[in-house]
Amino acid sequence: MELLVSILALGSTYALLAAGIVIIYKASRVINFAHGELAIVGAYVFHSAGFLTGTTLTALSLFTAIVVAATASALFGVVIYFALMRRLLGRPTFVAAMVTIGLAIILKAAIVVIWNSRSVGIPIGRQALYNFAGGGRISWIDVISVLTCAAAFAALAIFFQLTRLGRQFRGAAENPLLAAQRQVNINLILAIAWSVAVFSAALAGVLFGSRSMLSPQSTIIGLSGLTAALVGGLDSLRGAAIGGLLVAAATYLTARLISPTLAETVPFLILLIVMSWRPWGLFGTVEEINRV
Amino acid sequence: MLPEPYQRAVIAIVVAVVLCLPVFSGDYFLHLMNLSLIAVIGAIGINLLTGYCGQLSLGQASFMAIGAFSTAILAQRYGMPFFVAIPASCCAGAAVGFLVGLPALRFRGIYLAITTLAMHYAIIYVLTNYQAIVGPSASAGITVPPPSIEGFKLTSERGWYYALLIAAAAVLMFSLNLARSYIGRAWVAIRDRDIAAETAGVNVPRYKLLAFTISAALAALAGSLGAYFTTVVTVEEYTLELAIIYLAMIIVGGMGSVVGSVFGAVFITLLPFAVQRAFDALPWHFGTGIFGVQEAAIGAAIIGFLLLEPDGLIEIYRRIATYFERWPFRYREIKPSGAR
Amino acid sequence: MYNVRGIGTAFVVLAAACAATVGARAQDYKIGYITDLSGPLAGSYTPTWQGFELYIKALNGRGGVNGRKVNVTIDDDGLRADRAVAAAKKQVESNEVLGIFGLSLSSTQAPVIAEMQKVGVPVASTFSAILDALPPAKPDYFSTGVTFEVAGEAIGTLQKRIVPSGKVVGITFDSVGGRAANNHNKLAVEKEGYTWDEVLFPVRTADFTPFAQTAAAMKPAMIVGHYGAEQNIGVIAALRGAGYAGPYIIAAYGASEDTARQAAAQAGSGENIYMVSRYAVPTDNAPGMSDLAAAAKKYGIANPTSMHVTGWVLGMFAEQALKNCGAECTREGLDKAMQSVKLDTKGLTGGPIEMSADNHYGPTYWRLYHWETDKFVGVGDWLKKTGLEFPAK
Repeated sequence: MELLVSILALGSTYALLAAGIVIIYKASRVINFAHGELAIVGAYVFHSAGFLTGTTLTALSLFTAIVVAATASALFGVVIYFALMRRLLGRPTFVAAMVTIGLAIILKAAIVVIWNSRSVGIPIGRQALYNFAGGGRISWIDVISVLTCAAAFAALAIFFQLTRLGRQFRGAAENPLLAAQRQVNINLILAIAWSVAVFSAALAGVLFGSRSMLSPQSTIIGLSGLTAALVGGLDSLRGAAIGGLLVAAATYLTARLISPTLAETVPFLILLIVMSWRPWGLFGTVEEINRV
Repeated sequence: MLPEPYQRAVIAIVVAVVLCLPVFSGDYFLHLMNLSLIAVIGAIGINLLTGYCGQLSLGQASFMAIGAFSTAILAQRYGMPFFVAIPASCCAGAAVGFLVGLPALRFRGIYLAITTLAMHYAIIYVLTNYQAIVGPSASAGITVPPPSIEGFKLTSERGWYYALLIAAAAVLMFSLNLARSYIGRAWVAIRDRDIAAETAGVNVPRYKLLAFTISAALAALAGSLGAYFTTVVTVEEYTLELAIIYLAMIIVGGMGSVVGSVFGAVFITLLPFAVQRAFDALPWHFGTGIFGVQEAAIGAAIIGFLLLEPDGLIEIYRRIATYFERWPFRYREIKPSGAR
Repeated sequence: MYNVRGIGTAFVVLAAACAATVGARAQDYKIGYITDLSGPLAGSYTPTWQGFELYIKALNGRGGVNGRKVNVTIDDDGLRADRAVAAAKKQVESNEVLGIFGLSLSSTQAPVIAEMQKVGVPVASTFSAILDALPPAKPDYFSTGVTFEVAGEAIGTLQKRIVPSGKVVGITFDSVGGRAANNHNKLAVEKEGYTWDEVLFPVRTADFTPFAQTAAAMKPAMIVGHYGAEQNIGVIAALRGAGYAGPYIIAAYGASEDTARQAAAQAGSGENIYMVSRYAVPTDNAPGMSDLAAAAKKYGIANPTSMHVTGWVLGMFAEQALKNCGAECTREGLDKAMQSVKLDTKGLTGGPIEMSADNHYGPTYWRLYHWETDKFVGVGDWLKKTGLEFPAK
């Protein structure tokens, strides 16, 4: 039971990360390798904003932190698009993917320069909600994680299914030129995609930092998010959710039941198995795997 | 091959400078050059695989680790001389490369990259266990004695420079010829459109595996030479970041160009030191956070080149070369036979 | 067309910059410091360097040693051995240093030491050390730091003060150093009659919950964590969440009060957190601490932690070595001088640092601390260790 709660809490964070990657992919066919770094940097910004005026988090500082982190991440997404990604429209998506790798390196170095590599935790919701007989417990933050991710997914689903802008996303991804000629505002769509993606990354980062901790090394969660997105299908939100839970479950169960040291490799093995069977992910659109 | 006299003169000057470099430089600069030369070998390896054959691989670091550990084991535990240890390490690398290449037959692009990443972690896991259990002093790694023949030991920077120069030149010649041969052409065909290549009669699986094998062998060679050069092998050196740095080398140098790998390897190896020199020269005293900028420099280089010069340094070189070739004319004369 | 004034100003600034870089005067002692300032463990090594730098600044403020000031060249190795070696070579050649201090994780140290032995430049590491400093000591390498093996044993012995018997679980990275620490910890506790179990997790883990749950499920009497500072924050939080409320010992390879404070906040409670450290914590009020606090205040380091103490002590070591070396100090002279250091650290370590020709590590003193609300309080006296009790391998 405790295991289930942990998997749900961690899995929802991974799912949120995967969702961010999926959004960018849905809009532009670009795989964002900087997602982990964006998440952790966003969380660091949140932490700094929250602790700006004191050593404990008050309601006011928490509110400030949320506002600052939210606006900063959304804006940063737009900046990334206009400064970097926009210039790569029309080039092979492989190039854009490499640029995100470069961005990831810079962001990771930024943590060193700006925050001096200091490891921090975000102490929100650490109080116990329910204590198990065997000794474990559910903390508020576990519940908050799951609920927040669920809400985020719901919002995204509504956006993609029901709004006109959301439906234009896929058109923009498949053929930007044609979509642009049909009066689809490519720049708007892509800017929104990046903005939402970076915001969701920061959100996931904050939730993760609350359950665990933040350091320049925590950016590895981006890899888990990417694995989850690949497992679920790079253009499927539903797949992102399932993928996130699967990756979390695989890591947990391996660590608990098989061998802790293999916990890092098992998600990749799951990925390999899924890809051998369905290369486009569990819920992805069936198509020729010709992307490099 | 080199019709113009001035081209021959340029080549002669370059060779002279390269050969006489130790005369003008101190140990430190030579050390950096040696690091660059080792990187050149590795960069050529990954360029053959990713640049020519289009197989995106993140396993570079693990192949180098295989080479380094094979050398360490053979040289330190079994006392093999370097002319046995180095080729054996290359074979070990080739064997592992072959295994890693097998999934390549199924996957492409990001999926292939993730597969190679999984293999990387698996290999590092095995090597970590090995170093912990077998290594003499667990945390300090395995010591490798310097390569020696008949009592002559290679320990000076100058000596290493010439040795590595020979090795790098050999690898360069080998790879240039390989790229020009039918193997190289098959690889490019696979990179551009592998389905079309198959239709045209190219045995895609064979050439993909060949690319992985040769690339891994070269990476293992770089790892092996690195092991002899630094005299200590530790598994902590071979991280995912190292694989990405090698990718950065070929992006900056020019993917699909062997000579470009040379430029890229030297550029990326020297970049952090150049950045540091630049900061040292400034009069202000920065806090230690500024060292993060060295790390960021590589990311900035990747982004800068991809945005501004996607074909890499080799393209800049080509433009300069063609400018001088045609100067003072703006167009090249068209010879009757159509040859350039 | 051209902004003459602008270009002129630029030239003047440039000239001034060039002039300013000729900073070190000929008669300064030149030493070098290389450590990880931007890589994975920068969070721990940066404050160590800051402590060392503080000491040197204070020293220069007093007029230096033997009438000469000390000039330190700092370089970053990013926790990579090749960069550490390159930095060492640069410092030896371009900066003409007499000795190199600091270094980072043990895996980067061996290549540097090998290179420096070739040119006879003494190296003194802090915080991390490798067994080469223990007898029979290899030449040109000294350390005032922590070796995984010795630390593991010290912790094993000190654990008796918390809970006298039962099962001890050691959690560590699946890395070479972590395993070494665990091994020696295990040997030490098994000798005292405990049972031992361990949990290893991958080095790049970000979420510790499954590992913490595994450890908690073993129902231990005590848990020890052998890793750098940051992991402690996540692990403690996860352990408490998994229902383990018993004692947790931070093995201080870079951890400090900041670590414990964050961990306590993250876990919801600071109960039952302990730390074993070779260096005193600021709240120990050792006599040497007031010097450090004064220097910190003067040179702008806000909250000195035990990591700053680590670097500061190395600074003291450097001063005595240079003093013994004399006014005309050479590299060989510095090496000899380091061998004869007998340093009273004014309470910053449990006992004096004593080097000899054969032993470049000396006896080490370890203290167990208990986290009480907002500071570490010592539990019992310092434990002296004069080398490894169990064979290294």
